[in-house]
Amino acid sequence: MSFIEYDVVIIGAGVAGLTAGAKLAEHGFHVALVTKGEPTACLSTGCVDVCSLSDHPLDGIDSLPPEHPFHLVDKSVIKESLHHFQAVMIDMGIPYAGSAEKNRLVMSALGTFKKSCLIPSTMEAAPQHTQESVHIITFKGLKDFYPGYIISRRRNTKFSVYDAGVSTTMSIASRFEEKDFFENFLLWLEKLNIAEDRIAFPAVLGLESAAEIFRTLSMRVGKPVFEIPTIPPSMPGRRLFSALKKNFRQKGGTIYWSWPVVGTEKTGHLIEAVTTFSEGRPKSINARAFILATGSFVGGGLTATRETILENIFNLPVHKSGPRETWFNNDYFSQNHGIGKAGIMADVSMRPAGCAWKNVFVCGSILANTEILKNGCGHGLALATANAAAQSCAEYLSHEL
Amino acid sequence: MIKTDVIIIGGGATGCGIARDLALRGISHCLVEKGDFAAGATGACHGLLHSGGRYAVTDPVAARECYEENLILRRIGKKCVEQTGGLFVRLPGDSKRFREVFLRGCEAVGIPAEVLSASKALELVPNLNPQIEEAIKVPDCSIDPFRLCMLNIRTSELRGGIIFTRHKVTEIIKSHGRCTGIKAIDQSTGETREIHGNIIINATGAWANMVAALAGSEVPMTLVKGSLVITNHRLTNMVINRLRQPSDGDIIVPNEAVCLAGTTSLAIEDPDNLIMESPEVDTIISEAGRMIPHFNATRIIRAFSGVRPLLKSKKADSHEISRGFQIINHENGLYSIVGGKLSTFRLMAEKMVDTIMALLNLKKPCETAEIPLDGQEELSGYPLAKRLTNMKNIVCECELVTRSDVERIIRQTSTRKVGDIQHRTRLGMGPCQGGFCTFRALGIMNDMSVISPEQSMEMLRGFLQRRYKGIRHALWGDQLREEQLVEYIYLGILAMEQSE
Repeated sequence: MSFIEYDVVIIGAGVAGLTAGAKLAEHGFHVALVTKGEPTACLSTGCVDVCSLSDHPLDGIDSLPPEHPFHLVDKSVIKESLHHFQAVMIDMGIPYAGSAEKNRLVMSALGTFKKSCLIPSTMEAAPQHTQESVHIITFKGLKDFYPGYIISRRRNTKFSVYDAGVSTTMSIASRFEEKDFFENFLLWLEKLNIAEDRIAFPAVLGLESAAEIFRTLSMRVGKPVFEIPTIPPSMPGRRLFSALKKNFRQKGGTIYWSWPVVGTEKTGHLIEAVTTFSEGRPKSINARAFILATGSFVGGGLTATRETILENIFNLPVHKSGPRETWFNNDYFSQNHGIGKAGIMADVSMRPAGCAWKNVFVCGSILANTEILKNGCGHGLALATANAAAQSCAEYLSHEL
Repeated sequence: MIKTDVIIIGGGATGCGIARDLALRGISHCLVEKGDFAAGATGACHGLLHSGGRYAVTDPVAARECYEENLILRRIGKKCVEQTGGLFVRLPGDSKRFREVFLRGCEAVGIPAEVLSASKALELVPNLNPQIEEAIKVPDCSIDPFRLCMLNIRTSELRGGIIFTRHKVTEIIKSHGRCTGIKAIDQSTGETREIHGNIIINATGAWANMVAALAGSEVPMTLVKGSLVITNHRLTNMVINRLRQPSDGDIIVPNEAVCLAGTTSLAIEDPDNLIMESPEVDTIISEAGRMIPHFNATRIIRAFSGVRPLLKSKKADSHEISRGFQIINHENGLYSIVGGKLSTFRLMAEKMVDTIMALLNLKKPCETAEIPLDGQEELSGYPLAKRLTNMKNIVCECELVTRSDVERIIRQTSTRKVGDIQHRTRLGMGPCQGGFCTFRALGIMNDMSVISPEQSMEMLRGFLQRRYKGIRHALWGDQLREEQLVEYIYLGILAMEQSE
């Protein structure tokens, strides 16, 4: 066993973990982040949903049930988290449009509209009402995007098909990174002389250089252009993850990639270290505080068995709707399944309820009662609770000194 | 209006078997099915081609029929039967007396049964519970009921049979007290079709009484719900049975890449309204787990129920009701064929068609036991080795189905139902249960203009509801994770509305 010592260890590389980590590193703390692998953020649309229950996200938060974890965070912290996120994303070269004051509409790959608060600027030009005509550019054999679904709701939509020689979103995105391919594509696009008001693309317009590709494209066609998020793997989700990761590293954080936590070491009221399993032998990573940001079921923070629901790192008590029969109801589309409430309860210091150790903090979608789909509060909740957890953790660390 | 000799209602194994037999004997016929082939009990069973062992103690007649049919199907259906062999395992505490009766029963019927020591059985199936006392080896096989139906239908199609799937019979036409035809409504267009025939066969399984009622007749039946679970892995290469009186969760059958385990047995009233309960799933898992301990830790990808249409009986325990079959002459030109089981479908068809031949005063003997099933080469797109030859543009990652496979089926069948593609390619049958590939398959169907954009959307919605029904009772562990992801995709990323 080898030993490494940090001020804080973050577990989980999603929006919550990377945000909390960057904030603490910015404060001058020595921060490490351990992760099993890519976060669910890579599967997401990249949009920052704060609360889609109302046109005004902050009003929406007021209408959330009292047990919702958004109520653990001060409104000013929520606002500040969003501002800060936008500033960071500009630095990282993937600007986000929108503000905490008002939700915007993003067009989905089924032609429906989804309310979101901060959205990648590549999605900004999506029509905000149904009258405007759209021309979709899709790619031959692309397996995760079908314009027919959009046409089913918007009959005035036209589409054209380009043969990129490859058929997955990921491989098309990487072709856009090639200069020759992009130039040939632009020549083809210009020749189409599109008459519709706006031009839509499945979200495949590049990875690292997406912002630049998008700027060039918009300029050349002289019309509003926008991306439509696709089912995973999602390029806007990957761009968001890369940007957050880069920011965390720039602020001085260290990432231990593919280092799943397999155990913890504790004394009295403190967690002393997490044990990770990497390259064939376990390593202990010691720290003065720990932030749990491992996500919900998909992310791997929680596991359901036939009998109960478990938290995977510290075995913290998990709040749940009741026995297995209550986890799902009969209507698939109800968005009201009991399982959405499962997670870790926390207090205003973002410490887990029923946790025997005072140096553990929690944030993100592992929190209880989030009901993320129903409330439309994904990455927004992650940002806000990550900032709150980081702040509380920083106070604890300073006090402890 | 269509005129034919025989109208068959029902596209399960029995109906499809009758169509094949009629085709081989040169009798014109028309088959009408309200859903897709194998949509009822046929598709909701283990897919076990019985050796007869299971019935050797309780029902020697059924056991003998099973064994004979087992030998025939292995011969004529090489590509849809997997000759796995089967074991009856005796666990500590299971009656030793039953073992003796079982062996005597097998001997009386002529079913080859070989007693194996525990260690010998474990050599054959290493996943078996190491504590088993012993095992008895019998010639059980695994059979694919969907392919079985389609292969039988192929013969009918090749010889001029008329087939209508997605057509629901709404009326049996009568003239002077005799049934002379049917009216069926095309479920996708709403059009009504009229078909006239001399003889009408009711092969609708659990729905037999409802169909008979259209002609003013009755079919006394007991409906028994049986539930099954499907695992994500193939835990055994042999069929595993429990050596005891038939009971809940005592059969595990390997099929392609998965295993099916079940069943439970509960009397019900309405075959269209099957409600599954979590305790049934738990019972099956823990019972199957006694034979193969790893079953308890294996991912379950689906849990579903089917209805066994059994002949009416006064016996209290539905496991004990005879699995034999019966042909009922309603004395008005309508015949119902009920009971039986997948393993004996060919025999049932033979007996039914013998009756028809006698009525028509024709002599040609049955040939279904000798002639191999048509179309086996074309339909055998299943083997993994074959799939791996073309990995380009895979649409269903779980079952390795390519875009060209999907396009081929759409062109061949001009189907407008994604289920038809599923049953022909295994699209959507893997761990994600169609969560990704159905969105794609429907998109491709729209690209190829077999369905409209509006239909693709509506079918996607319908599919998601049906899919959910099949997985909702198997949601924990990795399957729950998968489900949360799929829910996030459709209700989050794709922002599907709660209702239209």
